[in-house]
Amino acid sequence: MTQTTPTRAVPRRRGLWRRLRHDYAATPAAALVTLVCGTILVAIAWTLIDWAILRATFDPAAGREACRAAGGACWPVIAARWRVILFGLYPYDEQWRAALACLVVAAVILLSCLPRMWGLGRLAAIWATGTALFYLLMRGGLFGLTPVNEQQWGGLPLTLFVFVATAVIGMPMAIVLALMRRSSLPGIAIPAGLLIDAIRSLPLLSILFTCAIVLPLVLPDFLIGEKLYRVVFGAALFFAAYQAEIIRGGFQAIPRGQEEAAKALGLGWRQRLVRILLPQAFRLALPATINQFVIAFMETALIVVVGFMDLLASANTAFRTGEWTFAHVEVYAFIAAIYFAFVFGLSRYGAFLEARMDAGQQRS
Amino acid sequence: MDRTAPAIEITGLHKSYGGFQALRGIDLTVARGERVVVCGPSGSGKSTMIRCINQLEEHDSGTIRVLGTVLDGRLASLDEIRREVGMVFQQFNLFPHMTVLENCTLAPMLVRRLPRAEAEATAMRFLEKVRIPEQAQKYPAQLSGGQQQRVAIARALCMEPQIMLFDEPTSALDPEMIAEVLDVMVTLAQEGMTMVCVTHEMGFARKVADRVIFMDRGEIIEAAPPGQFFSAPQNDRTRQFLSQVLGH
Ligand SMILES: Nc1ncnc2c1ncn2[C@@H]1O[C@H](COP(=O)(O)OP(=O)(O)O)[C@@H](O)[C@H]1O
Ligand SMILES: [Mg+2]
Repeated sequence: MTQTTPTRAVPRRRGLWRRLRHDYAATPAAALVTLVCGTILVAIAWTLIDWAILRATFDPAAGREACRAAGGACWPVIAARWRVILFGLYPYDEQWRAALACLVVAAVILLSCLPRMWGLGRLAAIWATGTALFYLLMRGGLFGLTPVNEQQWGGLPLTLFVFVATAVIGMPMAIVLALMRRSSLPGIAIPAGLLIDAIRSLPLLSILFTCAIVLPLVLPDFLIGEKLYRVVFGAALFFAAYQAEIIRGGFQAIPRGQEEAAKALGLGWRQRLVRILLPQAFRLALPATINQFVIAFMETALIVVVGFMDLLASANTAFRTGEWTFAHVEVYAFIAAIYFAFVFGLSRYGAFLEARMDAGQQRS
Repeated sequence: MDRTAPAIEITGLHKSYGGFQALRGIDLTVARGERVVVCGPSGSGKSTMIRCINQLEEHDSGTIRVLGTVLDGRLASLDEIRREVGMVFQQFNLFPHMTVLENCTLAPMLVRRLPRAEAEATAMRFLEKVRIPEQAQKYPAQLSGGQQQRVAIARALCMEPQIMLFDEPTSALDPEMIAEVLDVMVTLAQEGMTMVCVTHEMGFARKVADRVIFMDRGEIIEAAPPGQFFSAPQNDRTRQFLSQVLGH
């Protein structure tokens, strides 16, 4: 029976000490493991706190010598170099535009995370406006904004742009590829399968190189376009190949009766797909999809090999100049915090989605 | 759609899977308002036959006419027929990501293009009929099997079909829930719905069927009114089957 009741078993109240003992020290061996692991954890935490806070230098005016003397982290490097870290080679006087562009992307992402915005029309409107604004701010050339070539884009806005564009272009491609591969017509299913398998058997690096360097040699001039967009297209294709398989897995996990019931009710192919199959396939594929997003975000760092200054690359240049070469750990810690905030937000959002979709509908 | 044609006319229906013949020459006519119960051993082709009626399975040869429209593989006739033929499955097949009410309003809104308010009013009417209006806002997984199957019946009825097909609607249910589903089906039968039910509930067959059909190995072996079917079966295989399901 699948009947569920809203009441939960109330945990029996026990003393905190007894509970801890039961959970972490039930046997002498368990107690020993707890003790060893606990000691290691505390030691690591203490070292970190000691370095990052207690003995760290926070005074923005402090230099190398002051930091050396204190012995901890040297945070003034961030104060001195944050604009290079965040915006790379983007012209200094125009960096407010890059900052605004980041805010635009953040706002678009946050808006599309709200369930009340979930509708094809609304999402399309948000994303079209957001993309146009981002491009206008970054590229300039209109409304008196100085033009800034894509080659000069860098840092956080570039990373965000590549990630968002990869996902926004890659997701529809993934859905189409997954549907094609599921098709009962071999003429459609086989090419889709070949394409997916071909892309999955290539490293992302080689795809990025191909898009950046080889494509201009073989494509007619009018198709070449800006290198950045070719690279984004390559990344999107790579994303789509993996995501297509994830979505296909979701489709396969849907009981066959679902589509039959929808057919029997007279729903057409598109209605069955949009109302019955895709929502269930996405729900089933959600954990793997969030994972894929996280990977795609991390992989934006690879565009450095075809000459782009993403966040990681611009951070690298931030301590390469003269006085700050010793402070690379601080710079890496800073961008690690940025990556972490982003990825942690993503996975929390995934958990929120799962909980929301599961509300009341534990699957049997 | 022909108003006077029989509900279902099947002649010479054949269907095979690979080399295996699941149906070998089925002839069956179901009049409007008639209640037909189909029984037979597992694998005899009962599901295949009724799934051909709304073309969840495509047949190989023979003709199927539903409400006067020939099912010839054209999409237009298929859409027309599926709108008029409701189906209830052994596994309920409710849409798990939608509430009971949404399950019931989806097809009327998308296929019959009813406005939401009207679709919801219709849905509530049929949920009351299957006696679970209070569950309208729940999700299928929160209901018992019997409740889910009654929702599935309501969902099919919301399209206001002229024919209802049932494929072993009580076979996946715990014994104590079978009665609540059968009650709903009996009510439906008494109101004059044209029904084709695959079921082994012989009590139900006795009570509401106009005709009981026995299938074996892809053929209709025997068809008779329940009185005659149960008291004086003509065929050996029917007798053997009946002694198995009736337990004597
Ligand atoms: N999709 C299918 N592929 C191959 N064989 C099938 C398929 N569906 C049904 N069959 C076969 O056709 C026969 C009739 O099946 P079915 O109509 O489901 O029988 P019943 O409903 O009377 O138990 C069975 O032997 C079954 O194995
Ligand atoms: Mg069957």
